[in-house]
Amino acid sequence: MTREVVRELERALGRERVISTPEELIAFEYDGTIERGKPQAVVFPETTEQVAAAVRVAHRFDVAVIPRGAGTGLSGGSVAAVGGVVVALTRMKRVLEIDAVNRIAVVQPGVVNLELSHAVASYGLYYAPDPSSQRACTIGGNVAENAGGPHCLAMGTTTNHVLGCEIVLADGEVVEIGGRTRDVPGYDLVGAVVGSEGTLAIVTKVIVRLSRVAESTRTLLAIFDSVDDASNAVSAIIGAGIVPSALEMMDRNIILAVEPVLHCGYPLDAEAVLLIEVDGLDESTAEQADAIDAICRRNAAREVRVAADAAGRELLWAGRKTSISALGRLYPNYYVLDGVVPRTRLPEVLRETYAISERYGFAVANVFHAGDGNLHPNLLFDEREPGVTARVLDAGAEIMRACVAAGGTITGEHGVGLEKRDFMSWIFSPDDLRAMAGLKEAFGAGENYNPCKAFPTHKGCGEVSQARVQRAAAAGAEMWV
Amino acid sequence: MTTETAGAIGEFVAAVGLAADSDASLCARYAVDRVEPRVVVAPGSVEDLRAVMREAHARGLAVIPFGAGRHMTLGNVPTRYDVALSLARIDRIVEHEPADLTVTVEAGCRLGALQAALASHGQFLPLDPPAAGDDATVGGVLAANAQGALRHRFGTARDWLIGTDVVQGDGTLVHAGGRVVKNVAGYDMTKLYAGSLGTLGVIARATFKVAPLPAAETTLAVSCRSAHAAGIVLLSAHDAGLALHCGELLSPAAAALVLGDERWTALVRVSGGARAVERSVREIRDFADGLQETASEREPAPAWAAWGAAFAPAGLSMRASVAPSAVPDAVDALDEALAPAGAVISATLSAGLVRIALPEASDIAARDAYERAEEIARGYGGTLLVDAAPARLKAAIDVFGPARGDFPIMRRLKQQLDPGGSLAPGRFVGRL
Repeated sequence: MTREVVRELERALGRERVISTPEELIAFEYDGTIERGKPQAVVFPETTEQVAAAVRVAHRFDVAVIPRGAGTGLSGGSVAAVGGVVVALTRMKRVLEIDAVNRIAVVQPGVVNLELSHAVASYGLYYAPDPSSQRACTIGGNVAENAGGPHCLAMGTTTNHVLGCEIVLADGEVVEIGGRTRDVPGYDLVGAVVGSEGTLAIVTKVIVRLSRVAESTRTLLAIFDSVDDASNAVSAIIGAGIVPSALEMMDRNIILAVEPVLHCGYPLDAEAVLLIEVDGLDESTAEQADAIDAICRRNAAREVRVAADAAGRELLWAGRKTSISALGRLYPNYYVLDGVVPRTRLPEVLRETYAISERYGFAVANVFHAGDGNLHPNLLFDEREPGVTARVLDAGAEIMRACVAAGGTITGEHGVGLEKRDFMSWIFSPDDLRAMAGLKEAFGAGENYNPCKAFPTHKGCGEVSQARVQRAAAAGAEMWV
Repeated sequence: MTTETAGAIGEFVAAVGLAADSDASLCARYAVDRVEPRVVVAPGSVEDLRAVMREAHARGLAVIPFGAGRHMTLGNVPTRYDVALSLARIDRIVEHEPADLTVTVEAGCRLGALQAALASHGQFLPLDPPAAGDDATVGGVLAANAQGALRHRFGTARDWLIGTDVVQGDGTLVHAGGRVVKNVAGYDMTKLYAGSLGTLGVIARATFKVAPLPAAETTLAVSCRSAHAAGIVLLSAHDAGLALHCGELLSPAAAALVLGDERWTALVRVSGGARAVERSVREIRDFADGLQETASEREPAPAWAAWGAAFAPAGLSMRASVAPSAVPDAVDALDEALAPAGAVISATLSAGLVRIALPEASDIAARDAYERAEEIARGYGGTLLVDAAPARLKAAIDVFGPARGDFPIMRRLKQQLDPGGSLAPGRFVGRL
């Protein structure tokens, strides 16, 4: 059967666009998580028609189809959980059109996020969503996961920046949804596809909104002697009617990991720092920076620094951007979580996160989008310790429960994927899930489109759940949030 | 009414009790495109709403959700209509945590009441459907995806909506999203309900992100000799990143109605911190000077209230969607073709959205105006949507325009989420 599928794929796409030997497939068994899954074949289409052809072959043989971008996902979204055909979209990496006047671009799914911003920079434009993996991750993957990033506080996430898509349905049909403006009549199918984790459709073309680079940017670093004070400052800034473009928090363990290497000026004896950025007219950023400075000091900031120039801003951001990989200096392994709470609940949920980690005997390092209430606790551990993986997953689940109990949710930007399928029932009733299943049915997605992701409906999914608990953790060398 | 339906209505009224009323004059007030319901029902809570839906479902009755009725002109003529479901009594502000910048509100809450409550904390929901007043309900605004001049800076309802509680045709309550501002758990079903016109479910509660009110605000009108000059003013302000909440291009007839000055006009609402507003005003004045046009400050409240009244759906109201760069040309062409028939036009340039209102259009004039507007919009690569139209025109067209390649997905979605086909039947795209 496998052989026949591979032969048909080769016939449809050409041999040079299909790989199927075990050695070749190894690189496609995992993404940015601890999940693993062995596909039977990986195809590398270069056109929409080739994507559709591959999908039709899989459809005919009733095997799973797993779309994949750069493989930087953090919830197992591109892992072939029950085998099947991985459709790698990395060769579809052309920017098809830049319409600078109307501030849109039409791109293929394999275009790398940051490269899109580079491609439009000469027009004074950029693509706003900036997941920390933006040097590697693709627009197609961003659409699948509704990717966020530090600058989504003021600008919104991927869903706010995608106007239209060309998609391939599970039977190989090619359909256009949305358009070049927001005013296309009908149900907002683009809104449904963004964040659907590749379970509704494979996106083969994306029409994105571009944003104008602001004339002025100011970056502040506020230093605190307690996490509580830092959290309260976050609420106070938002409560004062200031929505910074970014509002990030890093706690002591992150500072300890980052500072000795990068020397960004995060004090080693601080309990937390806030990295705050405002952009806009020079007059606005000056006003806002002053107000933020005052609010932080009122909330017991020990010190507030303002980056003097672009180099100073970059240095402050360097610590934030490399913080997770720097954790590797402290511990052999880390498990990054992704939960969201209403901003005002940050102090208590952070306290609980520390308490839960301590109870399980793990150190925890927090670096996260505080302005959005989007937490990223990193549990630090050593996989060589017997039984540790199961405990890490348990501690992670407990932290997620704390987020939900505070009125929050189980993922803000990494997706449900394989990782959090079993948590869906914490926030959604069977009726809620049935409505989502109705949407899937409307797209004709069936059981084979990225099975076992988000919804554990495929017959093979139960075994996957078992296996992942037993698997040894080996978090990758490079991980971004 | 068939005897069968009459029987079902009788049973329905008996089952839902005091909340139902089949008085003829009341039913006439809830007519949609001259189609009258058999009964009006106004449940007082979300639980009662669910019970009403269950009872209607059990008897196969067609239900149209009804807020203040401000946007009932949108949509195709209903194919069936038994029960007018008024959400007016389900109108509480459920939760507002100012420091979270989020609010949860019941569907029947008046937008004006919500804005007042938010304003007392220095916040607002940036949705401003053009209207003669502020009594539209939040649920109605959401279901119609209604939006006004704030579109320039703040996008559409879907960009602010983060959670929904929706009652399905059979009374099932389904919840989507939440009250956090970032959320990728499960499909983002909330997006589907925004603009769905009650055809997928009855929106019972919604949670929104809200925005801080600006510290300072000024409204400027730049009177210009042509649509192009006004377009250049708007584009220059947009490209300079000035602090604009609204930027509208008004036809001479629209400017006469709104501002009492019959010239092509760029009407901008400058909002933000005091110093940013000051500089933005200065630069817009400079743009105007450079073009040898005149900028004048206007009282914001009356100017924008007049704008809202001028473009509230009435008579024949249409929205063309074109590329932003095509707006000046498209507006010029539309004005030339339709101004003699009484059209007033205003475009949110940055969004490519052109509003065309002929509030007094007769049946025959409306038909002609619609056809010409449709042709012009198509000529500029755009689409046309009809927000309101006289009955005869409406019966003859699909107000959303021709179905596109994604229509089969929409049809299946409707079948999945409203298998009984009882929610606002016939009203949506392709008469779903």
